This record gives sequence, structure tokens and C-alpha cells, in this order.
Amino acid sequence: MFVGIDIGGTFTDGVVISDQEVIKLIKVPTYDDISLSIEEALQQILAGLEPQKIEQVTLSTTLITNLIMQDQLAKAGLLLLPGPGANPHQLSFACAYKIINGAVDYRGRVIKPINLTEVKEACQYFLDRKINNLVVACKFSQRNPSLEEEIAAFVQKNYPECKVLASHKVSGLLNWVRRANGAFYTLATQEACRTFQEKIKTTLAKLGLHCPLFILKADGGTLPLEVSLCYPLETIFSGPAASTLGALACTEEKITAVVIDIGGTTTDLALLLAGKPLLAERGALINNYPVPVRSLAISSLALGGDSSLLIEQGKLRFGPRQGPALCVGGPVLTVTDVLVYSGYSEIASPALIKEPVEETARVLQLTPQQFSEQVLQMFVAQLEAKLEIMFKTWEEEPAYRIWQVLSVQKERPQTLICLGGPASGIGKYWSEKKNWQVVVPAFSAVANAIGAALAKTTLKLDFFADTERKTYTTNLGGLQGTLAQRLHNIEEAKEFTLQLFQEKAKDWQLVPDMPVETVYAEGFNIVRGWQTTGRIFQIGLQTVPGIKGFLKGARQDV
Amino acid sequence: MFKTGLIFFPAFDWAISPTHPEREERLLYTRDQIFEEGILDQRKIVEYTPRLAEEKDIQRVHFCVPNIAAQTTTAHFISAGSALKLGDALLAGAIDNGFSLVRPPGHHAMRVVHGNRGFCNINNEAILVEYLRKKYQLRKIAIVDTDVHHGDGTQDIFYHDPDVLFISMHQDGRTLYPGTGFVDEVGGPGAYLKNINIPLPPGTTDKGFLKVWREIIRPLLKDFAPELVINSAGQDNHFTDPLANMQVSSQGYAQLTEELKPDLAVLEGGYAIETALPYVNLGILLALAGQDYSYVVEPQAQKQQIKQELQVERYIDKLIAYWQKKLAEIPPSKEELFSSKLIYKNSRHLYYDTDNIREQQQEEVSYCPDCPGVYQVISQSDRASGRNYYLKGISIPLYACSACQEKGYEIWERAKKEKGYDLCYLQDKKNDQYFREEIRR
Repeated sequence: MFVGIDIGGTFTDGVVISDQEVIKLIKVPTYDDISLSIEEALQQILAGLEPQKIEQVTLSTTLITNLIMQDQLAKAGLLLLPGPGANPHQLSFACAYKIINGAVDYRGRVIKPINLTEVKEACQYFLDRKINNLVVACKFSQRNPSLEEEIAAFVQKNYPECKVLASHKVSGLLNWVRRANGAFYTLATQEACRTFQEKIKTTLAKLGLHCPLFILKADGGTLPLEVSLCYPLETIFSGPAASTLGALACTEEKITAVVIDIGGTTTDLALLLAGKPLLAERGALINNYPVPVRSLAISSLALGGDSSLLIEQGKLRFGPRQGPALCVGGPVLTVTDVLVYSGYSEIASPALIKEPVEETARVLQLTPQQFSEQVLQMFVAQLEAKLEIMFKTWEEEPAYRIWQVLSVQKERPQTLICLGGPASGIGKYWSEKKNWQVVVPAFSAVANAIGAALAKTTLKLDFFADTERKTYTTNLGGLQGTLAQRLHNIEEAKEFTLQLFQEKAKDWQLVPDMPVETVYAEGFNIVRGWQTTGRIFQIGLQTVPGIKGFLKGARQDV
Repeated sequence: MFKTGLIFFPAFDWAISPTHPEREERLLYTRDQIFEEGILDQRKIVEYTPRLAEEKDIQRVHFCVPNIAAQTTTAHFISAGSALKLGDALLAGAIDNGFSLVRPPGHHAMRVVHGNRGFCNINNEAILVEYLRKKYQLRKIAIVDTDVHHGDGTQDIFYHDPDVLFISMHQDGRTLYPGTGFVDEVGGPGAYLKNINIPLPPGTTDKGFLKVWREIIRPLLKDFAPELVINSAGQDNHFTDPLANMQVSSQGYAQLTEELKPDLAVLEGGYAIETALPYVNLGILLALAGQDYSYVVEPQAQKQQIKQELQVERYIDKLIAYWQKKLAEIPPSKEELFSSKLIYKNSRHLYYDTDNIREQQQEEVSYCPDCPGVYQVISQSDRASGRNYYLKGISIPLYACSACQEKGYEIWERAKKEKGYDLCYLQDKKNDQYFREEIRR
């Protein structure tokens, strides 16, 4: 029995899934303190159930997103060691920074030492501004963390009032801007995460729940509550991941489809390709700042069921939400009202909005039918334009190997899965106008909670070893080190990587026999003066993405 | 917003041989540097996925012996195709310039291809030029080759084409492969001074490199007024390159790129894969994208002061003076250049260093008052081991007059009946049709 809880803006939904069926659905309000909503949700879920039957609870939380969006971040400063390369002042750092000397190159060699006087000055600069959370970010620190470590140790020793985090602890990704920003957001949210975690643990104990608790990540995988404290950022933007997985769970394995989740004010689009959600090529952005977080490729449109209909200079256009739809007591005419008027939605009686629709049509010198048609056409056209960009981005994903170029068979989906309130109306319209298969699944209103409940715990390890320098690094923050043994060939390197993977899998509470796939495995000869002086290995391992199961009979085609 | 297109294709699964300079490792550190910088997150740089070129794109340029499959691997199709893809993006207005950061390279590949020369089988820039001219009706294109080695393949392919200005600056052929690229190789009689070689002395630094650009190449480009400028962006003029002897830094390359403003840059050679490539590639990319590249300083450059020796400086000044004088002269007429017989004939030997082949060629271009004229080549390979081929190739230029086009077909029909050839080729660039016939003995 799996429990999924999705914390939304207004409501928190919970589902219990047993044997491919939703056996319980609950809804509670979302409070400012989301741990209260979680407690209330769990109480309702547990009513009449035996707690020990619950194998796992998975949360899709907006905790980090809210902290960031509401600007409740702890203040922090960056100590940057750019070394040679692009002008650091032209890069996108998410907070105040100071540039200091010291550099590491791509092989992890220190090419310029640090100067502690400079470090002192930089620390003082931030302390003078009452900033005592400091991030140290050095280019190529994942290949050699020594400069970051030296600075972090120095800061800790000399400025005990400061909290300091080195970027290599957060991510091993090749992109120091993302690592630096990632470390900043981690440091700025860690305290709130710790508090949240304590509260949740207390709640679970109080309710007698002893099953593991997981948090949904932006890439559709989950991670244990304990691990999420080290990687709080991973839990950002889990909402769209939850709905996309939910859409998958309501259809079938290997489905290729576009998922649209239409809310009141925004619409999210995602792609499912042969049963796998498409990931964003480079990772997530927070307030337009790049961070080292894998996320689904989600495209958002500021357009939803409650978008208002404006007439400007005799022309129709969409305006922002001014409240709910007119037919349910809102202030102005919305997209939803048009869906109701033209029979695509049955949430209210068309009679309620007959007059205002006809009146607006008259202003535009259209018949009410023409007017409705125009509104829906415009809505769908905007979705299509966004989709086109998504498809293009997907088709233009870079490829660095021959086999990748050759394996490209990118056929655009012709199936649409609609989620959200106005989804069924838009879905019906879409299926009438386009040659697409349109699915409006049962439980589409709680797709997010279903997605959370059925998400798998996932782990991806990008391993990089340099046998000449006897070092290895990975994408996981903090997981790097010295090669004690020689890796003679790709098989030995794969073996070593698999061992690392399995060690991490324990921390991440992965199911022991979960299949692991090799995404890539390549060896490079390091040749100097026609002599092979070492090898570089790059190996990518991951658990097979996907979900734990599919719901019986949830697919409903329009 | 000004946008720079990038195709990065390091071909991590392709090498000439495991320890050859042209191996999987070559762009590994470049990948590390460019990815680590975080600059690919900027919307100014648009990364595209590579694509494969088509056989026809190669036929438009080369006579591959005995066929395309024998001279190419998939990597070659991708490397060439990447440049074409950026060309399409450029002409569609999606990008303002582009960098095809790909391997394998191509600028030593000539029109006739018996094997690999200087690590090249097919010529990426030439394939790009012919593709763009055919597809978008462009006419005048300039190629500036900044690889340390003479771009002899590109020179060969466009030697008789008055609409393609080829300029190569490189280390003097007396001191470096391929041993050509001297100032007297000025283009065929119908394309006089459309082929410019600037052989630089070993030890040339950023100063000399940029001076040559500013005082010879820039005015040349201004006069020619091309519709498109392509840069064969080899990076082996770098002071750490193991195969050459120049003293140029990544700053020099970046500055040249900034001033040259190529529409498309295509990576060529450069084998200091650690000390030069990560920095030079980054410098070029930043310069193309209009970003500040002044922080791109390779660690060795911080330590050593690079100074251009006086004799190098004097030599370069003389070279500049030579070209300035030459270019100011009133050129002889096409008729004068063709001489009394109104036919250009050339006989030569070519060396394929990678594949150990000696090729013997007789070239012929007949004079036409209205167009560049039909080009013919008879070629015989001589290899230490393996099969040799004797072939004839005929090329009808893109802007051929109808009489010359007809003449090309007549020669082709005759050639197929002549005794002795193993293979005959006809390139009809005007109609974009290409023929190859294997003659069984």
C-alpha cells in the first residue's frame, strides 16, 4: 500500500494505492505551515487503515519552492575562484559575490594557489553586510576540492559565526555556476528543511507510522527524507513531476504523449516518451538562475481556465486571473465560462453565463458561437506554439557521440493526456479539431498525489576517473576521491562504479534488486608524446526510470 | 538578441587509431572547460544537435576513390553535416553566427580523394560552401583558414573558382606539412588572386598574426565583399602545439575571431589537446558570442612572456609589403593568364601522409570567356600496398555557361569509352547532378 501526498497552493491531496487501485482519496486545506496539512492528511488517510500496511509515504512538497518564491531565504555570499575562462561578472550568480585568486584546471591540477589575505578580506566584506552564510565555489572543484576545502576550513576556524558550504559538496556537475548557485540555495534553505524534517518525524511518530518517508524530486524520482536534507534543492518543482507521473500511471507503460496540466492561472506541458518523462537538457532554473538540479522538461504558459477575456481595440485577448469563473460566482468572463457555454464543460449550467457571453460576442461583432470558437482556438493555438518550442528543444538536444546521432528517431507524439479542472473541456475541443488521441484519465484531479505515490526511488551516478591523476569524481555532491586501485580497463572501471553505486543505493534506501542500467561507458587513452600515460573513464549508471505500477482502468479516451 | 549557434561534436567514439593525435580524447578537455564555465546556460549561445550530411553533399565537392563509403565513416558525415546544419540555421536567421566545434577535420582533403591526408578525408568547409551556394543561391564566399597548416585541400577545390576567395595563413611550407601554400599559388587563370597564401615564419606571435590579418586579409575581404565569411578555425598556431612551431595564444585567436567576425567557424586542427584547445575553443566561442574573452588566459601564458623575435617581425613586415604591392598592381587579363593556347595544364604529385599514398595528377581547365570553364583531372594512385586506381574526373562549375555544361557531358561520354580508366566522374554543379562510373576491365 503506497501513500502519496501532494501539497498544492490551496489544497493538499492524498491518495492510497493498493493493488493498482486507488482505495482512498482525501483532501485537506494547505496551511501556511505545510506540516500541519501533512498531519491532517495523514490522519484522514489512516482512519480505518492499519498503519503497518502502509509500505511507503511519498510527499510532493512546495516547501523549498515557497521559501524561494516568498523570498524567505537566509542571506548568503559567494566566494568565487573562477581561474581562467569566461568573465565571471557576465555569469548568472544568484547572490552577492567576491572574486578571489586561486584556480584548478580540468584535470584537477591546482594552477594558481589561494591567498588567505584575500579570503579574509572577502569574509570581512560579507560580515560587514551582516551576511554570515558563505559559499565557496571554485571552477573544477569537483575534479579537485582542495582549494574549496582549504578556504572552508579557514573560514570555519577564523569566523566561527559563519556557516560555510563548499560547492563540491552540493553537486559534481560540470558547471560551476550551477554548483555555486546550488550551494547558495542549499545553504539558504537548509535550516527551514531541518525544521520541517523534525516536524514530520514527530508527526509520523505520533501517528504510529513507521514506514519510510520519501520526498519527490523534480526529475520524478524520490529520495529519503533524511537524504533530502543534504540535497534540499532536489525537491523543488516536484509538482509538475508529480502530475506527469500521475498521467503516466493512469495510462500505460511505454506511452508517448504530451501531458497538459491546466490550472486556474497556468498550464504546464510535459512530454512522456516511451513511458519516460523527458528531462530538461541542462537542468532547472530558479528565478532564472541555473541550478544543478535535474528536472523534467516542463514548459509553462501563463494561461489557465480562470484567465480572463479582455477586449482591447476591438480585439480579443487573454488577461490574468481575476477570480474564479463567472459561472461559479467569479467577477469576469473566463475561458472556463466559454467551455461551459459551448458545452465542453458541465461544471455549471450554460444558462448562468448566456447573457455575458452573448454581450461580449456582440461587442466583438461576432455570433456567440463564433466568439466561443475564437476563444478556444486562441487557447489551443497558444498551447500549440508552446508545444512546438518544446518539440524543437527536444529535437535539438545535443549529441556528443556517433551512436547518439544515429539513434535519433524523434517522432512527435499524437496523444494528449489532459489534467486539471478545465482539462476535459479543452481535451474534448482538441480531439474534435486535431487528429490526436485525447485522454482525460479518471482521477485526473488527484494525478499529482497518484504520481507521488507511485514514483520510484531513483539514483543516477555519473562517474569520471582519471587514472593518471588517480582521482575520481561523480555528479553527486561530496562523492569523489582518490583511486586506491588501478583501473586497467573499462570493465574494471564499470565494476568500481557499480560498487560506488551500490553503496549510495543503501543510503538512498533503494530496493536492493532494482535493475541498474548503463547509460554510457567510455574510456579515453591519455596519450602524451605517443605514449599512453593513463586512462580517463566516463561511466553513467542509473536505476531504470519509471513508476512502480499503473492504475487499472484509469485511462479514459475522449 | 544576438545569437551564436554551436554544434559541439567531440566524437567520443571515433579515432584514426588509439594513439593518433586525432583520437577520442582530443576534445575531452575542451568539453570540460566549456561545460564547466556555465556559458551554455546563456541564451546567447544556442546549442544544436549534429546531423549527417548526405552523399550528394560530398559528391558536390569530391571524387572519392573508389567511392564515398571507402573514404568516410559516420563521423565524417556528422562532422560535415554539423557545418551544414549551422549554415541552414544562419540563413534561416535563427542565429547570427555559428561555431561547428567538431571532429574529424577536413581542410587537407582535396577534390580527388584517394585516402586520408593530414587527418582529413572530406573537406567540411568546401562541402559547406557548395551546399550553401546551391541551396541559397549565394555566390561570393570567402574562407579564411587560420590553421597552422596550409589549407591545401580547400585551395585545391576552389583554385579555379573566381567566386570563392580562399585565404590561408599558416606556418611556412618549407618548415611544415603539407609543404605548400606559398605566395605564388594565386589561383588558376580564371580565378587570379582568389587564392591567397600567407606563409608565416616559425615563432610568429599574436602580434604578427593580428598584423597580417589587419594589413593583408582585412583589406582583401573588404574588396571582395563576400556574402559570407567562413573561418577554418584550426588552433595549432598555439605556442604549445606539438606538431608546429608558432607562438600564438588563445587571446590572439579570440581577438582575431572578434575582428574577423566570421559567419561560420569550423574547427580544423589543433593537437595541444590540454594546453591549447580548452582555452582557444573557449576564446573563439566567447568572441563569436560577443562576450568578454579577456579572462581566457592559459596558465602557461601567465608564466612565460611571449615575445616575437626581431627577425620574425622583419620577415612578416616584408611579407605584408609584398602582398600590399601585389594587390595594388593592375592584374593581367584572364586571356593573358591563360596564355596563347587558352588552356591551363598542370601536372603534380600529391602525398597522403596518413594513408601512405602518392598520387599523380594532370589537371586541365579550358578557357571560356563567359564562365570559369570545364575542369578535368586525370589521377593515378600509387600506394605501397593495396589497389591502385586510375581515374578521370570532370567538373562543370556552378556558374558554367550552357556551352561549357554541354562540353562537360561530351568529355564525360568520351572518357567512359576511353581505355584504361578504372573510374570516371562527372560533377555537374550547375544542375546539381553527379555521376560515377566504374569501368570493368
